[in-house]
Amino acid sequence: MAIETGTLDHARQGGWSAWRFKDPTLPVWLGAALLLIFLMLLPLGAIFRASLWDESGFSIGRYLEVFTNEQFLKAIWNTVIISTWVGIISVAVGAALAWLVTRTNLPWKKTIRALVMASFVTPPFLGAFAWTLLAGPNAGSLNKLYRYVTGAEGALFNIFSMPGLIFVMALYSFPYVFSMIANVCELISSDLEDAAEILGANKWRTAWSITLPLALPALLGGFILAFLQSLSLFGAPAILGLPAGLHTITTQIWALFQYPPRLDLAAAFSVPLLLATMGLIAVQKKILGRKGYSTVGGKGGQKRLIRLGWGRFPVLLFVLGILSLSVFLPYWILLKAALSQAWAMPLTWDNFTLKNLSFAFFEYGDTQLAIYNTFKLGLLTATLGTVLATLVAYITNRNLFRGARYLSFFALAPLVIPGIVLAVGLFIAYTRPPLVLYGTVWILFVAYLTKEMPIGFSQAESTFKSIHPELEDASRIIGANRLTSLIDVTAPLARSGLIAAWSFIFIGVIRELSASILLFAPKSKVVSVVIFDLKEEGQVGVIAVLGILLLVVSFAVILGVQWFAGRDVVATRE
Amino acid sequence: MAIVSLRGLTKKFTDTAAVDDLNLEITDGEFVSLLGPSGCGKTTTLRLLAGFLQPDAGEIRVDGKVVSSAALLVPPERRNMSMIFQSYAVWPHMTVAQNVAYGLKFKKLSKQEIDAKVTKLLGVVHLAELKDRYSAELSGGQQQRVALARALVVEPQILLMDEPLSNLDANLREEMRFEIRRLHEEFKITTVYVTHDQAEAMATSDRIAVLDRGRLVQVGGPAEIFDRPKTRFVAEFVGKANILTGRMDGDGHLLLADGVKIRLSDAGGPPPAGEVLVCLRPHNIMLVADQAGARHLADQGYNLFSGTIRRSTHFGDAVDYNVELGSGASLRVIAPPSQRFASGQSIYAAAHCDNCVVVRDD
Repeated sequence: MAIETGTLDHARQGGWSAWRFKDPTLPVWLGAALLLIFLMLLPLGAIFRASLWDESGFSIGRYLEVFTNEQFLKAIWNTVIISTWVGIISVAVGAALAWLVTRTNLPWKKTIRALVMASFVTPPFLGAFAWTLLAGPNAGSLNKLYRYVTGAEGALFNIFSMPGLIFVMALYSFPYVFSMIANVCELISSDLEDAAEILGANKWRTAWSITLPLALPALLGGFILAFLQSLSLFGAPAILGLPAGLHTITTQIWALFQYPPRLDLAAAFSVPLLLATMGLIAVQKKILGRKGYSTVGGKGGQKRLIRLGWGRFPVLLFVLGILSLSVFLPYWILLKAALSQAWAMPLTWDNFTLKNLSFAFFEYGDTQLAIYNTFKLGLLTATLGTVLATLVAYITNRNLFRGARYLSFFALAPLVIPGIVLAVGLFIAYTRPPLVLYGTVWILFVAYLTKEMPIGFSQAESTFKSIHPELEDASRIIGANRLTSLIDVTAPLARSGLIAAWSFIFIGVIRELSASILLFAPKSKVVSVVIFDLKEEGQVGVIAVLGILLLVVSFAVILGVQWFAGRDVVATRE
Repeated sequence: MAIVSLRGLTKKFTDTAAVDDLNLEITDGEFVSLLGPSGCGKTTTLRLLAGFLQPDAGEIRVDGKVVSSAALLVPPERRNMSMIFQSYAVWPHMTVAQNVAYGLKFKKLSKQEIDAKVTKLLGVVHLAELKDRYSAELSGGQQQRVALARALVVEPQILLMDEPLSNLDANLREEMRFEIRRLHEEFKITTVYVTHDQAEAMATSDRIAVLDRGRLVQVGGPAEIFDRPKTRFVAEFVGKANILTGRMDGDGHLLLADGVKIRLSDAGGPPPAGEVLVCLRPHNIMLVADQAGARHLADQGYNLFSGTIRRSTHFGDAVDYNVELGSGASLRVIAPPSQRFASGQSIYAAAHCDNCVVVRDD
């Protein structure tokens, strides 16, 4: 094989001949980078433009209007209150469970982890819906049970209230805190705790004075994570808050899209949410990245489990009690609603029916198309998203060109863009020429691709970090170009990590509601939107069927990935 | 086969020069080692050669054609080179045979030709029976043989090796040194070998290039580097060295601090004025107890130092003595175990003037 070379003089003459010897696969990398930057900048640009400019020119009037209007201020205040409580409860529950599962001899740990994962996978809007059936003031099963047992007149619990909303949102936010704290707990070596015990501290005191402070940054980080999660949720506040006249920022933005639409106000109102998210993520990074806690990042060393003694089984019951609130009770009521003629009645043979299934899948107008759209979008977004995330993570990991590492900023940017804000931006950007996507499924595709990029990217990035670059250098030097190396060597080695990325994106897409709710059109409805619409019509059975469908598919994907990759996917999710 | 020239090669990482104005000519079929401590720029030089890095200044030519310069970079896959890595980099998702065959896929060969070449190379590195194994099922030495076969099967013009033996245990390392040299004699491929282990460089190389802080300090054959180090750094890095300080008197002798006069090797040309450093290898120093023996050696051109044994350490095949000289300086001497001296014993240390080499201070 002859070496193609030029002389130095030749190269000096013109840029082109020098360019010829550059990486011939450069267009692929540059293309991926530019696509990513375009995806991220377009919606944000659209929001700022729409909130500041109109036909009559530049004006900050919309911001003034948003921040002086009492209704909007009330929504902001509600959001702050709700998110703070959700954060506190999530940290309390998530950290306690994580500590119990990782550091004590609690029985049934695998089951508990699996159930936490189930809470994780359950779309919050579906949980919220199930809880309307469980704790609605009149027909709610738990309230009926309460009245039956006590003979009382009123309701034990009204889920359509601020406490109800906080309760449900916390149920589906605590798993985030759980996985974060569980990781930290597994890294804290028993040596540190032993040192305290040798000095005479008993095990509870050790937990309080050593383990807790070591985990403190993670606890604060977990609080912020749960806070952000509830800040950006749309489904649960819409289902539980709106009937009680309770607006949050997200539902308020949604309301501004209803007739008569005020896109400019929605854009202006999105900005505080965007800035709050950005600020909190910056704070979280700072807390978690602070020096001095790096001892936690060690290999972990020897770990021994704290014995709970006689408390083992009461604690287990308590844990299962919490998980029954997020998993058992909601799943049970959904299953009952799916299989009964009247969901509020006991599930007897007389009440049993498969009508809801056939109605949902074959008769009700919107569902077939919605199911088709949802899974089409899920497959497309997961596949293209994984490819794009892989290329971008590869570029940043291998630092392919100057400034490559700044790309990770763009790939992670959607973390600070709540779904509904993203949707506002995309709506404004794609309802006008040159690219009119509104009314097609493609605007949803763009939204999902953008929204899921951080998960795909961080998964791909950590996968690439674990693959020694020399493995790839070894193929380059004997004749493979960059792209061939990536395809032949790196990608196969990264396979299980990339499959995990694919499945995270897929599951994220099929449960997406907060962006879809603004971007769908009659022909591009997806399952989550149909569920939301059906709620207005009171089609409880059909909602339950569709909800169970989402859950079953999500679990099937997770099990399939675990089987295929032979490893615990949830453990690797950050 | 190829002639490689590095001219003024410079690579900076965030303003510090990892490789600084490096000039080196490697002749066809030669085996050259880049030797130096970690951070001396040897691996950077190798990666510049491979085309994984682009120089900031200077150029690399292969057979007279520029392959790397600040303006031009032939990508690694079009350089017709091969490389062996510290981590072996055997692909874990391919069998031994698939690993070796991979590079041939870019050569437009028929399947039969590929099979024949793979089988031949696996035979050369003694891996024929393991061809269907995966790397997880191989030992470190076997993995390194796979890496060698994979690098050689593509018949490269130039073979690059980046500390290929540093992950092996001591015995295997010694065996693989000879193996690498044997393969070099067989294929005569121009080879650049990076190592921080001087014994490895000595055993494998035709010439050794010693690097220090990104600069090339000395190039020469193994014996030349060892016996005629040009700088204190080379003397101390390549083998063990005693460094003595003194000044030249008028008639070609070096006057040490304690008044001892010694004759120097004249191989290095006239020594500079002012303070002069002299390197004495511990192996090149003899110990004698009696005055008559010492005088006899002095007549044969040996420099004599009187001193006292302060400490001795027995290594089995040699004894390592610490001798305190009259000036208070200490001299390290490695002597065969047949001679034994006790601590506190007064002795003469004798070093032939040819082995007293002037070195530059760095």
